[in-house]
Amino acid sequence: MRKYIAIFKSQIQITFAYSAWFWASMISAVFQLIILFYFWHAVYQNSDTIGNMNIKQMITYVMIATILGKFMNGAGSQLAGDIRTGQIATELMRPYNLLHKLMAMDLGGKTSDFIQSAVPLLVVAGLFFSITLPESLTAGILFVVSSILGILLAGVFDLIIGLLAFWTINTWGLRILRNAIVLFFSGSLIPISLFPPSMQLISQYLPFQSMVYVPVSIYTGAISGQDAWMAMGAQLFWIVFIYAVLRASWSQALRKVTIFGG
Amino acid sequence: MIEVKDLSKDYIILKRKPGLSGAIRSLFIREKEIKQAVDHISFEIKPGEVVGYIGPNGAGKSTTIKMLCGILTPSHGEIRVNGVVPYQNRKQNAINIGAVYGQRTQLFWDIPVRESYELLRHIYEIPKNDFEARMKHFTEYLNLGPILDIPVRQLSLGQKMRCELAASFLHNPAVVFLDEPTIGLDVAVKENIRKFIREMNHLYGTTVILTTHDMEDIEQLCQRIIIIDNGSILYDGDLVAVKERFGHQRTIHFEMPQTDHFKLPASLESTVDVAEITESRVSLLFSSRDIKGAEVIAIMMAEYEVNDLTIKDTSIETIVKEIYERGI
Ligand SMILES: Nc1ncnc2c1ncn2[C@@H]1O[C@H](COP(=O)(O)OP(=O)(O)OP(=O)(O)O)[C@@H](O)[C@H]1O
Ligand SMILES: [Mg+2]
Repeated sequence: MRKYIAIFKSQIQITFAYSAWFWASMISAVFQLIILFYFWHAVYQNSDTIGNMNIKQMITYVMIATILGKFMNGAGSQLAGDIRTGQIATELMRPYNLLHKLMAMDLGGKTSDFIQSAVPLLVVAGLFFSITLPESLTAGILFVVSSILGILLAGVFDLIIGLLAFWTINTWGLRILRNAIVLFFSGSLIPISLFPPSMQLISQYLPFQSMVYVPVSIYTGAISGQDAWMAMGAQLFWIVFIYAVLRASWSQALRKVTIFGG
Repeated sequence: MIEVKDLSKDYIILKRKPGLSGAIRSLFIREKEIKQAVDHISFEIKPGEVVGYIGPNGAGKSTTIKMLCGILTPSHGEIRVNGVVPYQNRKQNAINIGAVYGQRTQLFWDIPVRESYELLRHIYEIPKNDFEARMKHFTEYLNLGPILDIPVRQLSLGQKMRCELAASFLHNPAVVFLDEPTIGLDVAVKENIRKFIREMNHLYGTTVILTTHDMEDIEQLCQRIIIIDNGSILYDGDLVAVKERFGHQRTIHFEMPQTDHFKLPASLESTVDVAEITESRVSLLFSSRDIKGAEVIAIMMAEYEVNDLTIKDTSIETIVKEIYERGI
């Protein structure tokens, strides 16, 4: 465990070191929030509520969801790169589990991203776009826990996509598909509750709404009480399930490297 | 330290006919070809030995080393490294071994070298005192001082290789595998690296297995060599014996304005072979036991106009060829 913590810490440092990148992504994120603000104001021009949400609730939802949505990537592309370049061979000679190492790196990067971009963005959203605070203190605490679960879920899911590099040469197309699906079905663009009923039904059986929609709905109070606990149970289930699939495909992939030589 | 018994590795290569129709066909019919990269080899290496593992390109050297590192599973046979079966117990094996692959990096790309080492300290769970003592020693020996604060991606090849080498010895492994550690380096850095390997071997008794195409590396470091070609071991034993047997082979390249009418001078016929004739160059092969190099040169100069000449020692490739053709 100590070694993974060391890797986690070092990744925090590395991510902090890229300051040019930081400012670029920060500025683009602020623009994104501005566009969201005016877009939804235009949409609400002719009606007071859309799908039971008033303008204030909607702005709060989309802004929190957009910020949280920035944490839905993972170490998958690094894994795919290691596989493509053959660097995986040297990684396998290390006394650690490569999947856990990649997760530690990913979480380290996200921790520094949280401090240096999510926090300032939340402040900007609160000051200039007047998003509301969480429904209650409990909702606030559950939101934090649920967000962490959502981020972990997205992380293991991304590793599975990266792992596919063992079987297909081109993970680029897969990644674009993944990004589109996650963006839409996670609820980071619009709340799932605005989907047509049939789509909502499909979404219920997919892991993606556990990534963004669940935590943000807990924040806004759309999911509360018993439902909140159920939704978080579902998040946990998906993490365990996808992690199990990841481990199984990982050992298949390892067989492929160690027996066929890549 | 290392026991290898009857070890083989077959690669399965899926063949594909060229072009689009080939690509479509290969979806349905997969033609397999089996490439036997390592073919029933056996050897044993004792603690503290420095062994040169040599052979021409594609001989199976890297494949053997990958099996010893645990990243390839043998098709047949047994391996033990420091009592551990590498492919069954990869993580345990990882602690016992260090490795440098000439073309790959094992340092962390984005962070300064010093922090890479600091991370390795945690990953290999090296006690802090040991780590600091060894770091001090390595910094001095490999002259790492000026480059410790630079990120790995900004290092030159020679600087990087010195850092890699230090990284592979950092956790004091029982065995270190060096796959072409001097490839592409200048003479001074090569010297430095060889000195370091010798020192580590003396000081810590580290067992070293070295693959290289540089005869100089072998001569300066190894008491024993294993020659492999086409997956089979051709020779396993003393370096001195091989050198006595083959080290007297010389090749001299004569640069000449005209080679069209070249005929080997009569006085050289019994002792010298013509290795190659090109438009501007004649290469002669002989044994220093049969005739002195100076004499060959004198006779050639007397009969032909020669612009320039170079004398070549025996390369590993010629030794292998020689053993292959004539036996040891
Ligand atoms: N992953 C692989 N799949 C199929 N064939 C392979 C694979 N890796 C190596 N080979 C083949 O196995 C043989 C031995 O290769 P290996 O890399 O062990 O040679 P080597 O002795 O290290 O050569 P070099 O001096 O060029 O590094 C070669 O014919 C090579 O083409
Ligand atoms: Mg090789």
